[in-house]
Amino acid sequence: MALIRFDAFDPFSNLLALQQELERFTRNPAFSLGPSGYGAYPPINVFEGQEGTVIIAELPGLDPAKLEVSGQGRTLTLHGDRKREEGLNPAGYHRRERPFGEFSRSIQLSSDLDMAKAAAKYEHGVLTLKVPKLEAAKPRQITVNVAG
Amino acid sequence: MMPEQEIVTKEKQQVQGTETTRPGRYYVPDVDICEYPDRLILWADMPGVPEKNVEVILKDSNLTLTGTVSPEAYNNLSPVYTEYNVGNYFRQFALNEDIDESRIQARMRNGVLEVELPKREHAKPRKIDVRTA
Repeated sequence: MALIRFDAFDPFSNLLALQQELERFTRNPAFSLGPSGYGAYPPINVFEGQEGTVIIAELPGLDPAKLEVSGQGRTLTLHGDRKREEGLNPAGYHRRERPFGEFSRSIQLSSDLDMAKAAAKYEHGVLTLKVPKLEAAKPRQITVNVAG
Repeated sequence: MMPEQEIVTKEKQQVQGTETTRPGRYYVPDVDICEYPDRLILWADMPGVPEKNVEVILKDSNLTLTGTVSPEAYNNLSPVYTEYNVGNYFRQFALNEDIDESRIQARMRNGVLEVELPKREHAKPRKIDVRTA
């Protein structure tokens, strides 16, 4: 799998490169039956980086105080409740497409990740979870001692 | 009260019928539009779009919403499992209501665009007092 790398001077073709990379992955024959969590909320993408695993979920319009991220063993759970903001009774609806309600989703992490050092960030309606690799699982440089 | 439906993820729909000069796919944001006696309020889900990358234009009763995402957060990552694609957002509405363009307000909060479209004075419903002769 290719690493997504961008040319800092061309943000537009960068986006296309990202889209194609994500699409290529979805079309991978190993996923011919569709991803296992399809339809579950929120939708997630999982990436591998040098430091560890990065899980990104699209969760627009959430009150950050109502978003819970918890870890137990190797299971990471996202739980939250998305409420409508219209408040006052509107006279009518012209469109009603956005999803609302309570959700809970669990993700099984691989055993070489350090759950204790997981970090979560919620920005612009996107939740980013970074779970670093365990120290023992990181590549290590071994010093070669020269004898005598 | 009706119980809230189970929340599910719908597949993102790509924008059809318009070609853009910039490469990259555009998706149709999910939208709610509510009407109140004096205004319309529109909400559009645009996760990943910061405030400075949103454009709201009303011209000749056509409301155009555009949101641009930046792919930088994905630098040096490689996908191992994916459920959705990332892209810009685009949607257009022809408004039937008479909107006062000078008073439109737009806000971006947690990836949701909120546009307040106040009706013009004469478009508001008005109660007329009926007097006896």
